[in-house]
Amino acid sequence: MKIQARAAGAVAAVYGFFLIFAQFAFVELLRGHGAGPAAEKWALGAMAVAGIAAGFGVAKRGATVVGLRLALVLAACAAVLAPWASGGVSGMGVAVLTGLAVGGGTVSLAALLPGWCGARWIGWGTGLGYAICNVPWVFSASPEMQAWIGAGFALLGSWLVPSGLEEQRVPSGPSHGEVGVGGAVVAVGVFLALVWLDSAAFFIIQHERDLKEGTWGGAMLWRNAGLHLLAGGLAGEWLARRVWKEPVAVAWGVLAIAALAVNHPSTRGLAGWMYPVGVSIYSAALVTWPGWAGRSSTVVWRAAWVFAVAGWFGSANGIGMAQALQRVPWEFVAISGAGLALALTGWRAWRQWLAVGGVLGIACWRSQGGTGASRETAEERGRQVYLAEGCIACHSRFVRPEDPEGWGPPSNVDKVLHERPVTIGNRRQGPDLTHVGARRSAAWLKEHFLAPQKWVVGSPMPSYAHLFEDDRGADLIAWLMSDQEDAREWRGVRSLEWRPEGEPEGEGSRLFAAHCAVCHGPEGRGDGEFAKRWVRQPANLVEGPFVWTVDASTVARAIHWGLPGTDMPGHELLSDGETLALAKWVLALRTGGKPEE
Amino acid sequence: MNGGVRSAARHALGWLVVANAVGLWLSLLLLFPKWQVGEWTYGRWVPVHLNGQLYGWTALPMVAWLFGVYGVSRRWADAALGAWSAALAVGGLSWLNGGSSGKIFLDWKGGALAGLLVAMGILWVALWRGECRWRPVLRWGGLVGLAMIPVMMAVAASPELYPPIDSTTGGPTGSSLLGSTLFVVGLMMLLPASVGLRLATDGRTGRIVLGYFGLSWAVFGVTEFLGGTHWDFWQEGAMVMLVPWVVGLPIWWRRYEWPEGTQWWRQAMFGWWALLVLSGVTAYFPDVLDRLKFTQGLVAHSHLAMAGFTTSFCACLLRLLGVNLGSRFSAWLWQGAAWVMVGVLMGMGWAEGGGVAWMAENPGWRIAGWGIRSGCGVVMLAVSLHWWLAAGVSGESKCGAKA
Repeated sequence: MKIQARAAGAVAAVYGFFLIFAQFAFVELLRGHGAGPAAEKWALGAMAVAGIAAGFGVAKRGATVVGLRLALVLAACAAVLAPWASGGVSGMGVAVLTGLAVGGGTVSLAALLPGWCGARWIGWGTGLGYAICNVPWVFSASPEMQAWIGAGFALLGSWLVPSGLEEQRVPSGPSHGEVGVGGAVVAVGVFLALVWLDSAAFFIIQHERDLKEGTWGGAMLWRNAGLHLLAGGLAGEWLARRVWKEPVAVAWGVLAIAALAVNHPSTRGLAGWMYPVGVSIYSAALVTWPGWAGRSSTVVWRAAWVFAVAGWFGSANGIGMAQALQRVPWEFVAISGAGLALALTGWRAWRQWLAVGGVLGIACWRSQGGTGASRETAEERGRQVYLAEGCIACHSRFVRPEDPEGWGPPSNVDKVLHERPVTIGNRRQGPDLTHVGARRSAAWLKEHFLAPQKWVVGSPMPSYAHLFEDDRGADLIAWLMSDQEDAREWRGVRSLEWRPEGEPEGEGSRLFAAHCAVCHGPEGRGDGEFAKRWVRQPANLVEGPFVWTVDASTVARAIHWGLPGTDMPGHELLSDGETLALAKWVLALRTGGKPEE
Repeated sequence: MNGGVRSAARHALGWLVVANAVGLWLSLLLLFPKWQVGEWTYGRWVPVHLNGQLYGWTALPMVAWLFGVYGVSRRWADAALGAWSAALAVGGLSWLNGGSSGKIFLDWKGGALAGLLVAMGILWVALWRGECRWRPVLRWGGLVGLAMIPVMMAVAASPELYPPIDSTTGGPTGSSLLGSTLFVVGLMMLLPASVGLRLATDGRTGRIVLGYFGLSWAVFGVTEFLGGTHWDFWQEGAMVMLVPWVVGLPIWWRRYEWPEGTQWWRQAMFGWWALLVLSGVTAYFPDVLDRLKFTQGLVAHSHLAMAGFTTSFCACLLRLLGVNLGSRFSAWLWQGAAWVMVGVLMGMGWAEGGGVAWMAENPGWRIAGWGIRSGCGVVMLAVSLHWWLAAGVSGESKCGAKA
């Protein structure tokens, strides 16, 4: 096997061991043996101290292939012993053993990698490690089984470690220039921020049941595996172009979105996509960076510092923050972003960051203070919801003299311009909403907001169910219903004058299934899927109210204009011919669907 | 090339990438409404797309132009650009957070508006600190004029202000369309001399064009005073005043000696310009406007203006300033995608205008049209990414010291 492939495999195996055993299974096993929060903290603390000590020990003595193999064998032993360890001394012993193995192994590996392969292979190895841990069979296994899998990863990694370089204590990898102490401090700080953010988001995802199911449940695992592999691999390709600041900045941006998205139930789905991508990108950079620049003799020290400070310290603080606050505060995201930006661009760019800070500071300051919403009426608040949701992007509120008569009377220009701001809009992806309260009932509007496609076949409108988790939905409907009086009389007169023109078009049964069955039921008996949603059950069209009706135009009028004062909406978008065909089918329902002569 | 110009180009192209990505996302949401993520709804993403294109991609190449003219140092340029991008990012977060004022393209309020005004102030300071090659009177005249922009912005963004509308359409009047277009014409007339291009011909044709420019503004003043609708001949006449500019602007630009590297983009830009003006004037006439109003046809016209004309103008400007925009193939790809998108949307709009139910009753055509639009969006996103990456590479300035 090629030396690069073996090195990438070793990276994948070390990540696999760390993720599936040290981070998951060991903690679960401790809990399974009755260890309380205090014992768990002590065990994890001991693991961190041992890990840091082992890392610096390797830095002092030098990284060797033999040492790396030994560390991985030690890791396998820890994983094998873990199922029998209790929360007491034995648990502490396994924790220390795991810490020594992880600390010594990761620093040795990061220091040796530059002599074996480039960033490209490291990236794909990182992505592969994460991807394997997300395979459902691995991810969902019992903690005992995961411990065995972890041991397998460690032994596999020990075997994959490239041989033939045992005598080379300090590998000589390609150098991209010198990194001084200042540069190293900056990089360690940058990775600290990333690990902190990652750990906090990870903890919250882990401890919110719905979030965990929404991001790591069922088929999501395959998606996550694919995202990890792809993001890690592409990050490696990017890092291979001799850049590291840009990938790290992108990783922070993606992780910041994920971290903020986990705070709100309606955006948590986004976190499921973002989190694997951000983590894989920065993880590839984390392993690559120590060998990135500077004298090869200092690679191992850089690895020790970055894993000690960013790895151990960062993850402990991230978890601690999430435990204390149960969320990722936006202030932390903003401060870490500002610090990251300053660190990546350097102090010479002080003007730039002063300017950016000035803009952000003024913007935050001017954004403070309430909107006085409590003093407003429901209609006024509803208008604000209309503006905030950008309804104006798809709906107009201006009926032209030439508009189809279904929208209502032409708008009064003076009244339209009197609004603050004017809500005319410029595009109709959906209908004009000027007099929608005269065309639809409040109950119908709510049902439509919840599931638009149920009511309008093929509608491009997405669901706005989240508006009904608080009062915004009700306020919006209150505003939409507020100007119906202007149009009610106009619609009453027009509907009486209206008669469908031409001949029936299309199949009445098909039109009925598409537009009516959801309420009136497939056979028109008033027992549709949503029939119970209304105050009054939809009409049974087989037994009434059209049981004595002869003229299809009467039925067509009800279909086209709806029935004012009820939840029956108009169907203004159907052509006259389609309305007639539908009306004839409604009449035919009285005789079991046979058209009447 | 001035270091500040290159920074401005990277910011501008970076925002083009962001705005295109959001545009693609919006087009996909129309096809797959269930992809909408919680609070970040379709309507909240729209201002991010529109303002990213206007205040990012369109405004920042002009900022690069100002950096070149005022000789702004790299450090001050970076400060101004950082502030500008931060303000736009704050705006984006604000719109996604539901902070829209409801004024399309002037969708700034509260903290986002304050941030933008501060960014404009920092830009002004950067220009003031620059080493301008212009005579003091021109330099200070420009600075005084630029100092007015934040004030105008604050006034224009106010919900209390709304321009006159055509009472039969709810849209702009012919005179207001003439006025806003003449503003663009004025900027384009100013461009060649401001970047130091030398005159190639005598001034006679220039005087004719200038005379017509003055006449156009006079017609604007009269028709704006009269008001009216697209059924009134004077409002139609105001729009017809734009037609000679299809040749007027190319004539004006041809008076100058242009560097070789800009020719392709100039031709593309004037091609779009001709189409934009002629289709805009045609679409204003009775029956045509009544058919296209509120349809995909107007979306097509917006994309004709932004993806076609404005992008070609900005690309031409960046090339003039010495920015590398990558391969010619990418430029052809962009133009092709923009043409297809505009054509498909215009076709859909015309069909939709024939009957309000067209979109609902023809799901196959609708999905095909939007699908093609998304495909074009993918191409344009890839091209913008290529341009952004290429702009970071040191490109040979085609106009050297002249720019």
